[in-house]
Amino acid sequence: MSSSPIFTATIEKIIERTSDTRSFFLRAVNGRKLSFLPGQFLSFLLPVGGETLTRAYTIASLPGEEACFEICLNQVDGGPGSSYLFSRKEADLLCFTGPWGNFVLNQPTAAEYIFIADRVGVVPFRPMIARLLTTSGHHTIARLLYAAPQVGDLLYNAEWQGWEGQCAHFSFRPLVVGCEPEEYSIEKVLVPYVEQHFVKEARQHSRRFYICGIGRSVLLLRDLLRGAGYERQAVKYEKW
Amino acid sequence: MAKLYVSFENGNPEQVVEFDPSQAPFHHDGEPGSILDILLGHGVELEHACGGNCACTTCHVIVTQGMAHLTENEEEEDDMLDKAPGLVSTSRLGCQAVMAEGEVKIRIPRHTINQQV
Repeated sequence: MSSSPIFTATIEKIIERTSDTRSFFLRAVNGRKLSFLPGQFLSFLLPVGGETLTRAYTIASLPGEEACFEICLNQVDGGPGSSYLFSRKEADLLCFTGPWGNFVLNQPTAAEYIFIADRVGVVPFRPMIARLLTTSGHHTIARLLYAAPQVGDLLYNAEWQGWEGQCAHFSFRPLVVGCEPEEYSIEKVLVPYVEQHFVKEARQHSRRFYICGIGRSVLLLRDLLRGAGYERQAVKYEKW
Repeated sequence: MAKLYVSFENGNPEQVVEFDPSQAPFHHDGEPGSILDILLGHGVELEHACGGNCACTTCHVIVTQGMAHLTENEEEEDDMLDKAPGLVSTSRLGCQAVMAEGEVKIRIPRHTINQQV
């Protein structure tokens, strides 16, 4: 059991984002507002099989949405944590600690931010990019590369497109291969694109990369960029 | 049998866990056979907010003896440790450092970072 303060929240609303991905909107029972840095996660204490599982889920809420906050997650085959949450209903209670985590974007400092997302790994980028677009000037460029098997798997797709239409310094590049989920991989989709556009072509060493995705293939992207000469601190990543 | 000695900066009494490394995993969080896995499987609490997936530094431990009995750090662990408060040259993440033999002594730092704003 965690030695950190434990909070309780009510599930206020559940939204089906895709066939295997849901958003849970939570409200703290004591009315506490959730202060968080874009990219942080909450650590849920889930009673499963007679013991307490600790599972981390990233905050999907935009900065300012502290009273009713959102986590967005996919159901993992055989995963006890996500299976437990997917069996919850509105008005159920959840316990958590946090927010936690250092994969954050707080005060933008660089000229160009490249966000590279693999499937549900796009979730931390929603508050990060929102923060970037509202706090940085027009000298800051933000690009989102977002890979998924199908168009229907792109989370917050309309929102990205809307932001692109409103903000000249934000671009959204969906990388959809139109394949079955089992045929999809970071190696097939993101690695060739990153190699072409950020390794082979002119390297801008003022860039800052944020990578988030599922499995060890995320490390391929890290190694590709660091191997191309981008500084270690300029390539941040979170592997789920 | 291997032995893991645990002391706590917060003043909790020292604990010793004696275990058979071949029986790992002992729990469901952290790398099998890791310090986190060993401790949780033997009833010793160690914070692990991310579930033992190398996504935070709350399982930060300081190795005071027996570093050679632990697997070497990978780049991912080093990247994460960069952000740990109270980092020293023998810092490790409990969820990543796997112990397969011998005796190791660790100290659990008093503080972890909970970056609330």
